[in-house]
Amino acid sequence: MARSVAINPPKMCQPMGAILAYMGVHGCVPLVHGSQGCSTYPRYNIARHFRESAEVAVSSLAEDAAVYGGAKNLTEAIKNVKSRINPAIIGICTTCMSETIGDDVRLISKNALAPGDAVKIIPASTPSYVGTHLTGYDNAMKALVETLAVKDKPNYKINIITGIINPGDIREIKKILRIMNVKSIFLSDISETLDSPILPGVHKPLLPDGGTEASEIADSANSLGTISICRTASSAATYLRNKFNVPTVLDPAPIGVANTDRFVQNISSLSGAVIPDEIKKERGRLIDSMVDVHHYMFGRKVAIFGDPDLVSAIVRFCAEAGMDPTVAMTATKHKDFAPDIKEVNAEYKTDTQILEGTDLYEFHEAVKTYGAELILGNSKGKDLADDEGVPLVRFGFPVYDRVGVYRYPILGYNGSIYLLDQMTNAILGHKYDPNKLHQ
Amino acid sequence: MTTILPECDIPIPQRQPHIVCHEPGNMILPMCNIQTVPGDMTERGCTFAGCRGVVGGPVKDVIQLIHGPIGCAYYTWGTRRNLSDVKLHRKYCFSTDLTEESVIYGGAKKLYNSIIDSHELFPEGKAVFVYSTCVVGLIGDDTEAICKQAQEKIGIPVIPFHCEGFRGVSQSLGHHIANRTLFEKVVGTEEPETTTPYDMCIIGEFNIDGDAWIVKPLFERMGVRVLSVFTGNASYHDIPPMHRAKLNIVQCQRSSTYIAKMIQDKYNIPYINVSLFGMKQTADALRDVGKFFHLEENAEKVVAEELAKYQPKIDYHKKRLEGKKCFIYQGAPRAWHWIEPMRELGIETILTATTFGHKDDYEKIMSKVGQGHICIDNPNALEIEEYLIRMKPDFFIGGLKEKYLTYKLGIPFINGHSYEEGPYAGFEGFVNFARDIDVAVNSPVWKFINRPLEVS
Repeated sequence: MARSVAINPPKMCQPMGAILAYMGVHGCVPLVHGSQGCSTYPRYNIARHFRESAEVAVSSLAEDAAVYGGAKNLTEAIKNVKSRINPAIIGICTTCMSETIGDDVRLISKNALAPGDAVKIIPASTPSYVGTHLTGYDNAMKALVETLAVKDKPNYKINIITGIINPGDIREIKKILRIMNVKSIFLSDISETLDSPILPGVHKPLLPDGGTEASEIADSANSLGTISICRTASSAATYLRNKFNVPTVLDPAPIGVANTDRFVQNISSLSGAVIPDEIKKERGRLIDSMVDVHHYMFGRKVAIFGDPDLVSAIVRFCAEAGMDPTVAMTATKHKDFAPDIKEVNAEYKTDTQILEGTDLYEFHEAVKTYGAELILGNSKGKDLADDEGVPLVRFGFPVYDRVGVYRYPILGYNGSIYLLDQMTNAILGHKYDPNKLHQ
Repeated sequence: MTTILPECDIPIPQRQPHIVCHEPGNMILPMCNIQTVPGDMTERGCTFAGCRGVVGGPVKDVIQLIHGPIGCAYYTWGTRRNLSDVKLHRKYCFSTDLTEESVIYGGAKKLYNSIIDSHELFPEGKAVFVYSTCVVGLIGDDTEAICKQAQEKIGIPVIPFHCEGFRGVSQSLGHHIANRTLFEKVVGTEEPETTTPYDMCIIGEFNIDGDAWIVKPLFERMGVRVLSVFTGNASYHDIPPMHRAKLNIVQCQRSSTYIAKMIQDKYNIPYINVSLFGMKQTADALRDVGKFFHLEENAEKVVAEELAKYQPKIDYHKKRLEGKKCFIYQGAPRAWHWIEPMRELGIETILTATTFGHKDDYEKIMSKVGQGHICIDNPNALEIEEYLIRMKPDFFIGGLKEKYLTYKLGIPFINGHSYEEGPYAGFEGFVNFARDIDVAVNSPVWKFINRPLEVS
């Protein structure tokens, strides 16, 4: 991209991802070491996507910190969060401000604790001028595991690093593991904390039910292996392998037939579990759903943008369904993105254009050049889909202009069915001759 | 008169002066406009938010370029519901997307090239607004010089806003910076095509969900010419001739009184404060403006027409809302703008809170409320939760960040920042507001909050 200016870049900064990682940990309060906007803006995005409250502390850095450093504010913030909320964990993420002034967060937070304090402090370095929200997620997850994981006796569990996926996705993965009778540790788990029920007589506490316990993260050192659903979030897996010899599986996200097959096989080979008929039936239903709609979907041009793991997996699934993925775009660069898609191009004789580390302005230009009858992406794709007069099927983060997207899976065989149905219905609902839909 | 230390604040007693229980005749104001207690789970934002999000952001036909790492640009992309009839300002997000290299070697070149690129791709942009974020202030880019140089190159105004997030104590300083920058660099740089004896600017009206589209025609029907709206649905070229108004009215008196005062001081143009919310306050505003321009009869005619049309609808909602109690938590002015309109619906405001109110905001609140009213400055999440549980208001008017906490407590909620289904200003808007409160309070969904699953 020859331009200097970024125009409509679908990427956020590191603290956003770090906060999401921390929100999947039980009893964890995220604490942003930066200006007040650095907590307010991510909170706003989390609230509007998940339609849940998202409480985040901030050290409220101001001019004096720019001159004298932010140690005083961070120390006070830790003290206040500890005394008022009494969390099990305080997950710190830094910002462009605190990184530029050069605060030593590790040292400051160590000094902020009194002897005998039970609270654990996770010092993740997440400067906003490096990487994206996915980098922040990865750094926070790695910091959690580095700080908490302890070698003990084997637990016969599988670690699942989720990356930034939805509560519906996490529940689907849990269901697969349950059917296969495999025990797991989720790193981390927002399926309850950011999708909480209203129950009679109780209200969602500031530290909500659900999330992965600190003790489980400690135990992740003793697992059979680590599967990172999103390879952008694999640093914790690498750490567990290097430090504790926990095997690592880094494969594409389980969307579509081949990728989900690989996921299920990986679980089976790590755990020794057989693949039960119930899973095979789910797979059969996915294939049944693909067969049912192949006349509608064959050759349909689809352009996809979003986070790299989900985009490249969806490209493969679209190709499996006989569609024509014309453009695949991600703002976050990742080494596996282009090879994944090239592999699909070779296998399915497709010609998906690969855009990496760029923005939606460039994506839109590519859509105009290579065509699309359907756009897949988050809510930021709304305007360009409207400009092109094609439907937008929403996935990823953030989706704020439709309800419920976070509740439904797109991962696993079952999630893939849901995604395919969404895509098909979008095609059928948009300029499709209704006379052809009666039988 | 008492200040209160809620249970959640026992470990941070410095919060006590910020929370006041009102006693008429013995009034004290909450301590305000000072640094947040670090880690107190504040709802506050930053100076960048106040400058780019609130005051500068609504200008519809300029390139809104954020100079800094990506986050600040992304989070303010099309977020606030400051609508317009041009899509440039909400549809597009322009960012210099600074990376580590720029933090080390400076972002000057990136900024200059970004301004040039943006102008080339979007020549319809009438100006470029450049907002500095935290890191720019720390690395010391000379944005003034870069913007001047770029302006010479592209031939349209390039305006730098020094609104680094860490400056000040809240969004409030950002409003001031935006006002001062636009006043110093833009107001007076162009003359209006024509002037009339009835020229007026509406200041501090950001067209949230279409508010300006409701209130502007009210004045026009009176025979007033609205020279510009600062800054709701404003074109860049609406701002320069503001110095030729005969009168300014100020709606958002926190974010925008600054520019009204600066215009008064330099150009001798008076301003009056208005509340364009609710039937009585809107009518009063029209009458005040009518009096200034000697258009009293026209004002009465518009008021009578509007009341005839909308008062019956308000009466309908009032019957359904009479006796309810509410908690209003807004940035600042809407906390006091809405106390009187709530009364028109038979609703008592038992709690108010503001994110960044100053002394004058709290004076206005206290002049409108009764014995026992509780007022909180810069409330944090724990305080809001504690007071929602303790005071049990029938509904809460807050912002998106508080919305889902409120829902989980089973308390009806209205988004006062962006609105539910606005506009809420003016006579017609107040019907929408009343309807949204009615919908929130009278929905059957609340019956299920505490209904257990019966096991037979």
